[in-house]
Amino acid sequence: MTTPKFTKDQIQKIALSTIGFIALLYVYSSFFLGPLNKSRTTMTATIQSLEAKLGSSKSELTKAAKLEQQAGSATSRYAALKTLSPEGAPIAWFPPRMKSLFANQQIEKANARLETSAPYKQPELSGWTKYTWNIEIPEADFAMLGKAVAQLENSEPLLAIVKLSIHEIPNSPEFQQINMSATTAIIKR
Amino acid sequence: MAIHLNLLHEEIQEQRQRQRDPLKLGMMALGGIGAIMLLYYLWNAYQTLEIKSHLTMVQRNWAKEEPKVTAAQKRSQELTGIINTTKILDGMIEGRFYWAPLLEKIARCVAPNTQLTALEGAVLDENKGIGLTIEGVATGREPRAAAEDLRQLLMEQLAASYHDVKVEFKTLEDLDTLANLGGANMPMARYTLTVSFNPNGTSTSASPAPARGARK
Repeated sequence: MTTPKFTKDQIQKIALSTIGFIALLYVYSSFFLGPLNKSRTTMTATIQSLEAKLGSSKSELTKAAKLEQQAGSATSRYAALKTLSPEGAPIAWFPPRMKSLFANQQIEKANARLETSAPYKQPELSGWTKYTWNIEIPEADFAMLGKAVAQLENSEPLLAIVKLSIHEIPNSPEFQQINMSATTAIIKR
Repeated sequence: MAIHLNLLHEEIQEQRQRQRDPLKLGMMALGGIGAIMLLYYLWNAYQTLEIKSHLTMVQRNWAKEEPKVTAAQKRSQELTGIINTTKILDGMIEGRFYWAPLLEKIARCVAPNTQLTALEGAVLDENKGIGLTIEGVATGREPRAAAEDLRQLLMEQLAASYHDVKVEFKTLEDLDTLANLGGANMPMARYTLTVSFNPNGTSTSASPAPARGARK
């Protein structure tokens, strides 16, 4: 068997062909197939992420619908609690409200004074402010006071009396002087 | 045997040489490979176009769904916030201490021979309980016994509704002054009671105050 002998010219041509082939491969992979594959990979990834989002969107919508049903009582309760805080600065409406509440219980003199206001620590109550009031009743009968306190506690669910002080009035033993400290949760307007 | 002379020997050799020209063969091979590569590229391009059309469809679907999903997510967040806030507010409402029933109980315990002069009450820190200081005077043949009766009655009444009830005398001292009780002069004693209890565990609700008020 004889091996083909190449002339110098032929070897040069083979080398040239090889270089051409390598150049073709480079151009093909770098400028044609590479970008095509890259865009295909990107598009496939985008499709996957969008399809995952679409898949989760259905469950999200179902979840929201279920939550809407479950939250029915909570939303109405929340709305009711919100109505306890009228528009305007609390210092403008809370003292008159206390005055009229006690007046309805035949306690004519009742003064509510704002002591402090501070935000709540709980993040859920970020929309609410804690107000501490000092309610002073210079003269009241004990029985009337009891009824008035019951009325106050029943009509103001967000109010909590934290301190109560009842003292006799030396010259009128049938009446007492009352001082109470109460906190209320009031929505920020 | 006749002799055959190949007079075209050189031409045939040249032709053979031309046929095995490596550049020509290489170009043919390159052309073939190039054609295969082109076909492969076209196939890939076709697939990419298909993927692109699928992507366009998915993007269109998502564009339709996205506002709904965003709105649903926003609403869910809002509802969760409302539920959590309501839960905490309800906890505050349920956890607060109702003073009216306590005042009623205290009023029930005050007998005609005792009198309360001061009452100081406070919710202890973090709703750990309630602390009270009650000051008053008692009269009768045995004013100290009257004060003790009040202490025991208070203990009994409060224990019926609250937990860990403690009613203790802080001070109990005889007074020099006499009180007129039912037309008779009786000795008096002054007392200070400290009361502490835990309202949790028993539900209490505000109720109207007693018809009978505490004598003061």
